[in-house]
Amino acid sequence: MNAVELDQLKKTFQVKQGSGFKRSSKEIVAVDGISLTVPAGQSVAFIGPNGAGKSTTIKMLTGILRPSSGSASVLGFNPWDQRSKLAFQMGVVFGQRSQLWYHLPPRDTFELLAKVYELPPADYKIRRDMLIERFKLSSFLNTPVRKLSLGQRMRAEIAASLLHKPKLVFLDEPTIGLDVIARQELRDLICEWNRDEGVTVFLTSHDAGDIESVAERVIVINHGQVVLDGSVGEMRRDYLSAKLLTVAFHDRPASFDVNGAKIIERTDHSCKLELDTSVSPVSVVVPQIMQLGEVADITIEDPPLEDVIAHIYSSKHSPQQRY
Amino acid sequence: MYKKLQSYFRLAGAYTVVGFKANLEYRGAFLSQMIAMFLNDSVWLVFWIIFFTRFPILKGWNVNDVITLWAVSAAGFGMAHACFGNAISLAGLITRGQLDNWLIYPRALLPHLLLGKVTATEWGDILFGYSAYLLLVHPSLSDFALFVFLTFAVAVLFLGFSILSGSLAFWLGNAENVCDQWRFAMITFSTYPASLFDGQAKLFLYTIIPAGFCSYFPVQALKENSLLYASYSMLGALAVFVLGVVAFYIGLRRYESGNMLEMRS
Repeated sequence: MNAVELDQLKKTFQVKQGSGFKRSSKEIVAVDGISLTVPAGQSVAFIGPNGAGKSTTIKMLTGILRPSSGSASVLGFNPWDQRSKLAFQMGVVFGQRSQLWYHLPPRDTFELLAKVYELPPADYKIRRDMLIERFKLSSFLNTPVRKLSLGQRMRAEIAASLLHKPKLVFLDEPTIGLDVIARQELRDLICEWNRDEGVTVFLTSHDAGDIESVAERVIVINHGQVVLDGSVGEMRRDYLSAKLLTVAFHDRPASFDVNGAKIIERTDHSCKLELDTSVSPVSVVVPQIMQLGEVADITIEDPPLEDVIAHIYSSKHSPQQRY
Repeated sequence: MYKKLQSYFRLAGAYTVVGFKANLEYRGAFLSQMIAMFLNDSVWLVFWIIFFTRFPILKGWNVNDVITLWAVSAAGFGMAHACFGNAISLAGLITRGQLDNWLIYPRALLPHLLLGKVTATEWGDILFGYSAYLLLVHPSLSDFALFVFLTFAVAVLFLGFSILSGSLAFWLGNAENVCDQWRFAMITFSTYPASLFDGQAKLFLYTIIPAGFCSYFPVQALKENSLLYASYSMLGALAVFVLGVVAFYIGLRRYESGNMLEMRS
């Protein structure tokens, strides 16, 4: 059974341009005829640069927005005509929006959500206690949300979205602003939930690490169209093997030549390298760099998602490749 | 149907409890806002009482009529927005794309959205309305029962009007100021004796700014002990309410969402 089925889904907005009395209306295409299916239980990363149409697509799938044309079925429901029925079976986490009450402890929001989802009190208590244990919420369950760290807050947010046992969870940038440890904890929890409860996960993120850790399939959209649809393994092999290394030295370093590493920027005391980890892993290259001179600082980053997408465009992948 | 209604009452109770808890996190602020609103209403009433000591009758209205008017409009306004606090900020919620927060839940959007906020100041209005009527008018039991009914009618009127004016934002976009001005006009006209207005102004009071259903019928109903006037007040309020709900749901088709960062408080 498919959890999500989209057929030529399109959304346009009218945008006013110009100033004063010389204003005209222009149609902006946010989502341009997306068609795809997501089988139940799959974890999908839905990625793209800012303005690609990710959030608009999620908003149509959750019934927040009506499409301009096309059709969608989410868990067998039409999201905008059967929004309430669908909402009983789906969970939504917007990283930039909270469903927790800011001045109250998470426990109070859980109580309220139990009423919103009409959960029988006994079932609610069992589920709540299980979530508290699995998400390790007990130490801050009675602390007002305003006093929680961002990592604690996001754990509580995701637990809140799972309270009513949803079959499908939309996670819109859930790790935004989190530190490395909190981010990894959250990824592990999402994976666990996908594996143990068979929850379909529909994730958007700008973080390549989220995609690699959580998703088994990746869909890339840009300008409202699907530009790549494949397994994360394929994407990792083809596009996520690059790392950016920025190294600062105390003195001028010796000349450097490593197979798979390309210098993209260099000054007297620093250099920036693009590393193809499929040729030379980080663990091989870093010791070599340390021997070039006394290292003052070193950072290792994933390339920006925008670069990955630009790479996808320049490659030979045809749009709408099916998974 | 009955089960659904019961579930919504439970939800309303849960939201009221949570809303109160959120307000009471800052007890001082909550109480001072409530007291400030009570004092604000009282100052206006004192002004009218001073006026009527000089001019005992104003176009057929005496001081008791004006106290009744202020009591019924303040209590009604307070009841409309105390537990349905988001009605007042509806235009802003629409403009900033904040309806998303409620659209992801399995509940009818409008009641769920309206319940989402408890407003401290409005409890001051309710307290003022009821205490002014009981302490200054000294009503009989039947008058008081009619007063309670009329405050509910006026609450329906104000709630409907807030929904109607707020829904303008679906069409006008950034319409918070326009909606506020329209609502302020309604509040202003609801606190002046209806007999002050004649001719075309009267037409406005039952159409564009339907304050007549608050400033005329309720006072006449209590003055003449008339259930007919009371029912006119309720019917007018229901008409405005239905209009507001229809405008909201038609406008909702134009909703464009948004991407603002926010927390619920």
